[in-house]
Amino acid sequence: MASDELTPDDTALLDEYAALLADPTMWAVPAPELEDRVVEAIIAEAAGSSTNTYYVYRQPSRARRWATLAGAALVGAAAAAVVTVAITRDSSTPADSTVAMAGTELAPGITGTARLTAVSSGVRIDLSLPGLPRRDGGEFYQVWLKNCDGSQLVPAGSFHELDEAVAWAGVSTDDFPLVTVTKEAVAPPKDSAQGTSGEVVATGTVGQCPG
Amino acid sequence: MSVPALLDDTVAWGFRRGDEAAVRTVYQQYVGLVSTVAHRVLHDRGLAEEATQQTFLQAWRSSSTFEGCDFAPWLATIARRVAIDIQRREARRATTALDAADPGDAALITLPPSEEQAWEAGQVRMAIDALAPDEREIVRLQHTQGYTHQQIADSLGIALGTVKSRSFRAHKALAARLAHLREVAP
Repeated sequence: MASDELTPDDTALLDEYAALLADPTMWAVPAPELEDRVVEAIIAEAAGSSTNTYYVYRQPSRARRWATLAGAALVGAAAAAVVTVAITRDSSTPADSTVAMAGTELAPGITGTARLTAVSSGVRIDLSLPGLPRRDGGEFYQVWLKNCDGSQLVPAGSFHELDEAVAWAGVSTDDFPLVTVTKEAVAPPKDSAQGTSGEVVATGTVGQCPG
Repeated sequence: MSVPALLDDTVAWGFRRGDEAAVRTVYQQYVGLVSTVAHRVLHDRGLAEEATQQTFLQAWRSSSTFEGCDFAPWLATIARRVAIDIQRREARRATTALDAADPGDAALITLPPSEEQAWEAGQVRMAIDALAPDEREIVRLQHTQGYTHQQIADSLGIALGTVKSRSFRAHKALAARLAHLREVAP
């Protein structure tokens, strides 16, 4: 319904799209929080892309792990200590829950929370672990999701600090209900141990793991 | 005259790198297009928002293989594909008896709009988004509510002459921004 002052061509053109113009959904404003959700998802993936691809990491065999560690010692690589953070659920819903996190003996006194939210692109993990010293210069913290028997790890992002951080993983917390944080160092090129520091301390206690 | 959908090179490259400012710029410029295409397939606001989020994420993931600064056709294609995937997922979940189902249920929509139809809807949406806010509101009332100029003037509390002049400018701008659709028509 164009104005009479429009040219016949313009009027015909707008009449062609009159049905679309009359559709209220064409004028709907997206939810304001959608922008932040999109931006956070992309930035989180972008930040993790250099050291984090969303693959399921299988722990190396004992012999391979020893060989890797020996090689790492020879080249003076920093075989990082692992801080494993035990989590205790305060919700029975694995996909959307806030869990308490506590440091192991390698990070005594550290406490915090991880809020797990299932979204279409995976699992969002809002971490708050104040008190851990910042790591720079090729050293960083790595967040993982882990299955109950500890045989599989899924990287969820690497960080300088974890006072407030958002990690992401492309798996379900039903299958990977443990959240762990490790101290890592950048490995030499082609070092197969880049995926983890190699020293596993699996002390997490999770309600939904059998046994 | 074509829709000025081209992005600055800096923004395009920033988006590919995941720079926050660039990602926000791309989102703000194309969210109308993407959400409209998604809604034309899904007919559900919540599902359309899910598709919108997935579309931008998938676009970013594949942006290293996309060259150029005109994101509109590329994003529209991704949005339609993502929305169809969600529609199929919802169809598999549907357990409601056919007679009892809401006619707008995404599970009942079996024929998504063609690529051309989705593209045209997206272009109309981008033309709407490009209008000045005061002009956009007048055109919205005119088309979605069927208001006369006088009713719009009364509703918005502005002079009738102002409504007429803004309506004219807005429709002229819409026609100019949609003219390229007529140019490519067979």
